[in-house]
Amino acid sequence: MSETTDIPKHDVIIIGAGPAALSAAIYTTREDIDTLLFERAVPGGLAAVTDWVDNYPGFPEGIAGLELGTNLQKQAERFGAVIELGEVLKLHDEGKWKRLETTSGDMLAKAVLIATGSDYKKIGVPGEAEYYARGVHYCATCDGAFYRGKRLVVVGGGNSAIQEAMFLTRFASHIDLLVRSTIKASDVLQKDLQKFVDEGKVTVHLGVVTDEIVGEAGAVTKVVGTQDGKKIDFPTDGVFVFVGLKPNSEFLEGSGIELDHIHLIKTDENLQTNMPGVFVAGDIRSGATMQIASAAGEGATAALKIREYLEGHAHPIQN
Amino acid sequence: MVKNITIFTTTTCAYCPMVKKYLGAKGLSYDEVNLDTNPERQQEALAISGALTVPVTVITKQDDTQEVVVGYNLAKLAPAVA
Ligand SMILES: Cc1cc2nc3c(=O)[nH]c(=O)nc-3n(C[C@H](O)[C@H](O)[C@H](O)COP(=O)(O)OP(=O)(O)OC[C@H]3O[C@@H](n4cnc5c(N)ncnc54)[C@H](O)[C@@H]3O)c2cc1C
Repeated sequence: MSETTDIPKHDVIIIGAGPAALSAAIYTTREDIDTLLFERAVPGGLAAVTDWVDNYPGFPEGIAGLELGTNLQKQAERFGAVIELGEVLKLHDEGKWKRLETTSGDMLAKAVLIATGSDYKKIGVPGEAEYYARGVHYCATCDGAFYRGKRLVVVGGGNSAIQEAMFLTRFASHIDLLVRSTIKASDVLQKDLQKFVDEGKVTVHLGVVTDEIVGEAGAVTKVVGTQDGKKIDFPTDGVFVFVGLKPNSEFLEGSGIELDHIHLIKTDENLQTNMPGVFVAGDIRSGATMQIASAAGEGATAALKIREYLEGHAHPIQN
Repeated sequence: MVKNITIFTTTTCAYCPMVKKYLGAKGLSYDEVNLDTNPERQQEALAISGALTVPVTVITKQDDTQEVVVGYNLAKLAPAVA
């Protein structure tokens, strides 16, 4: 057990401030449970960097991702949630207390909610790192505006790739969509995409493996891919990559918390991990359905389970 | 000491309000150039930052030296405006 007397203490620390975390914070703070959130990037999480959300209940016309993220943040803050901008680096079990190593120093919590979601995956090809933010991008809502009237390549075939490719048609003159096998996006998105294909704004290339991103004089000029064993050049001014997501669970290495084979966190039916007092909600949970509505629902469930846990764990905060 | 601050933003960028909020909380004023409504200034943003991304925050000091922070990067932004 480490010396805990001088370390700041909270009832609940929530790691992340995406939809799962903020929904949980609305519940805990509304019940006067002292709650601190740690966010290393943007409150609202991946939802806040998504251009448009059409399937979150309660918004018949859809809602801009940034607006949804901001609203969730405001609602949690209205009840007293505090969001600390910083990163949780390690989590340790010290019995009644969990100790978090953070960029703002060590913190103690009686209960912890991990709601760290995931980040964009890289393709891992030559040129990708070299041209990062100079022609290779992972966020359409952040960087799309630089490609007005230009040609783009979008790599990926899942929901995010299709959604972001359609968003990028606002700016780009033409988009080549490189899909490694077949399109895995939902039928609704595929139907929407077809409109852009029919207008000649998007060309879909199935069965293309992206091999390299090539540039000249500091700017991207083409993507080289392989289709049916043949090398093909796709001339372009920029590349947007949406090839899936990487779970944000690295910080748990060595903590003893159990992960599944794709590094998502295992929980029981109470959303609790194998470390008592540590709960999980949203995209980072093994078995999650990777939707904003389900992340919000899991956040609410986790908050109620945390309350139950704290009630059975009542002991005064010792300063 | 900071003389003035300019932030290049776009309407949909989620990290841009974060920079503005941070500077606002520090009581610092800034000029904002929205590249969606001022596309003619994109080249300027690119020339300053070397990157095709926003937010780009340009901090001009009293001695007219400049510091450029690309993205929402508190580790760089905080000392640059201190
Ligand atoms: C392009 C795209 C489009 C999408 N469109 C839709 C849609 O239309 N409808 C829908 O329902 N879903 C959509 N999704 C999925 C949706 O965004 C996610 O399911 C949802 O955001 C998950 O919420 P979360 O709170 O679990 O995680 P996230 O939103 O990923 O939030 C996790 C937060 O934790 C932070 N974090 C991570 N590690 C740490 C750490 N160690 N310390 C501090 N902070 C940390 C991250 O910075 C992040 O802000 C889309 C996703 C993408 C990528």
